[in-house]
Amino acid sequence: MDAPHAAPLEAVAGFAALLREHGLAVGVAEQQAMVRAALAVPLSRAATLDAGWRAIACRDTRDWRAWPELFERYWHPERLKGTVRTSQRTRPARDLRQVVQALQTSLGAPGARPGDTALHTDAGETEEAAAPRAQGGASRTEALHDRSLSEWLPQDLAALQKLAEDIARRLRRRLTRRRHAHPRGARLDLRRTLRASLATGGTPVRPVWQRPRRERPRLYVLVDVSRSMQTHAQLFLRIARAFVEPAQARVFVFHTRLAEVTPLLRRDSPTVQEKVNAVSAGFGGGTRIATSLSDFHGTHVRGALGRDARVWVLSDGFDADPPERLAQELATIRARGARITWFHPSPQPPASEAITIARPLIGRFVRLNSLRDLAAAALH
Amino acid sequence: MTDAELRERLQQAGYICDEALATTLWLAGELERPLLLEGDAGVGKTALALGLARATGRRLVRLQCHEGIDLAQAAYEWNYGRQLLAIRVGEADGARAAEADLFAREYLLERPLLQAIASEQPCVLLIDEVDRADEAFEAFLLEVLADWQITVPELGTLAARHVPMAVLTSNGTRELSDALRRRCLYHWLDYPTLARELAIVRATMPQAESALVEQAVAFVQRLRREDLGKTPGVAETLDWVRALHRMKLPALPDDPHALTATLGCLLKTREDRFQMAPERLGQLLEGRRAGVAEKG
Repeated sequence: MDAPHAAPLEAVAGFAALLREHGLAVGVAEQQAMVRAALAVPLSRAATLDAGWRAIACRDTRDWRAWPELFERYWHPERLKGTVRTSQRTRPARDLRQVVQALQTSLGAPGARPGDTALHTDAGETEEAAAPRAQGGASRTEALHDRSLSEWLPQDLAALQKLAEDIARRLRRRLTRRRHAHPRGARLDLRRTLRASLATGGTPVRPVWQRPRRERPRLYVLVDVSRSMQTHAQLFLRIARAFVEPAQARVFVFHTRLAEVTPLLRRDSPTVQEKVNAVSAGFGGGTRIATSLSDFHGTHVRGALGRDARVWVLSDGFDADPPERLAQELATIRARGARITWFHPSPQPPASEAITIARPLIGRFVRLNSLRDLAAAALH
Repeated sequence: MTDAELRERLQQAGYICDEALATTLWLAGELERPLLLEGDAGVGKTALALGLARATGRRLVRLQCHEGIDLAQAAYEWNYGRQLLAIRVGEADGARAAEADLFAREYLLERPLLQAIASEQPCVLLIDEVDRADEAFEAFLLEVLADWQITVPELGTLAARHVPMAVLTSNGTRELSDALRRRCLYHWLDYPTLARELAIVRATMPQAESALVEQAVAFVQRLRREDLGKTPGVAETLDWVRALHRMKLPALPDDPHALTATLGCLLKTREDRFQMAPERLGQLLEGRRAGVAEKG
């Protein structure tokens, strides 16, 4: 076994490779910063590099939470319980202090610049990267795309979150005001024109015109949590939850009644799922989509539903209300200017009588049974 | 200055931070990189920048971001009024002002970013709630934060005399761009531990009764474990202890009803107030009594 401090830069590069493997964006610049930090820290306080490197390598809370385990796994594998060895070789002991010492001796000398040689070696050559990859947490997006929602693992949700953010970004921004084209051109922004005229002694040489403002559409997600949707409801809720932050979506669940669950979904708390379950458990009997929609536009979003609203209904379309009522309620929502999209878990759009009558009012039907479906929906 | 010294000085300046944060701050200074602080509202992100300025004896330059903030508010603006005055004075004297004279530094109004860049003395630059600014403004910040310079077309590029210690705070209203994140060191500021929060309250309010402070802080710590819409931060704890101190309470009362009036300091939404019914408050207070018994 090599002496642990024989190749300190490789040790850092190996650590960076492990971080990259777990989704942290650690490039050459970050590795160089890590080496610079190691050179700056006094040897007696080498342990504080944990915090220093964390600040360099992490970009958001997800990285921040993943850090302690990754750091321990690489630098103190002996502290982790249940480590499985796949080969006869013993893991090389890595001593952070020795690595820092070696770095300071080899690179601390004047003229030596960190990160010119070994940092550029392919990190794939290191022991960590060459190890078998059958470790939990590394999910490949491609495989996930085809996996049915019911087979998802918790870590797949990160991929979902990213997709939801992409979709939220792509939601077309709408003009806040529609104006008729005026024969004399755009409208003058008097306040800004006067302000700009200060530069030219009060003469408005450069008039400023009002520009149309665009705003994000408001997103309302209605999730069917009835018995017929039992297998899909949990995951539909997860999808809805993914949109709460990035798209400022409001989420409702319905069964025979409708309830808003946005505040519950906004919190990252283990009891959330229980609470959502509790809300939906109060419901009983068949699905009453029309009644729920009536409650939705009549009570919950009364004033807010307008031209900028997108209503996403996640349901299989089986309605216990009289079939023609669904069309009436959807027509009311459409009349307020909102656009309606119907997401269904089945391969074909729902063919219930209520849906057949209401079909002209629904802008799009989108199949939603895998991440690929969601990604495909995002393209339109 | 080492990280331990920095921590010590911060403590003297009234900001109590843990070792990891002190190391990160020190490293930000060493690497001349800005520090991006994220965390829930009220955990002391802005207070850190204020404390840092006091601890290092530097001037604090603060830029409060908001929607629609632009270059003229954040970096610089030409002082049109003075320029016009100069032209008029020039005309009265019979001399014609040259354009180059009018676009000189003396006619430039320095806004916070330029103030920090041009400062004669090293300073602390606080870019508060950067997530509230638009994406376009964030892109502009990249030049400032990466190269510590601002380009004014009429003057050229102004480079920093001293690299300021920059602290950016974000509440997560909007996802920040990767480009901005990768230029910064990152630190997630969590709610303080019991010991640290006690130290913070004692340092801020030395006049408050010791028993009251201990019990109140322990109560808030337990309250944070509840499933609240808006978890109370350190600022809320300080407000609450201040209120209890003003009411001349030597310790937390046993009766939860006596506390209800002061809970506005801690619970900031109607749902949270509703959730914390007197019965639940009583249970949380009983936790206090159990804690005291264990201690004894």
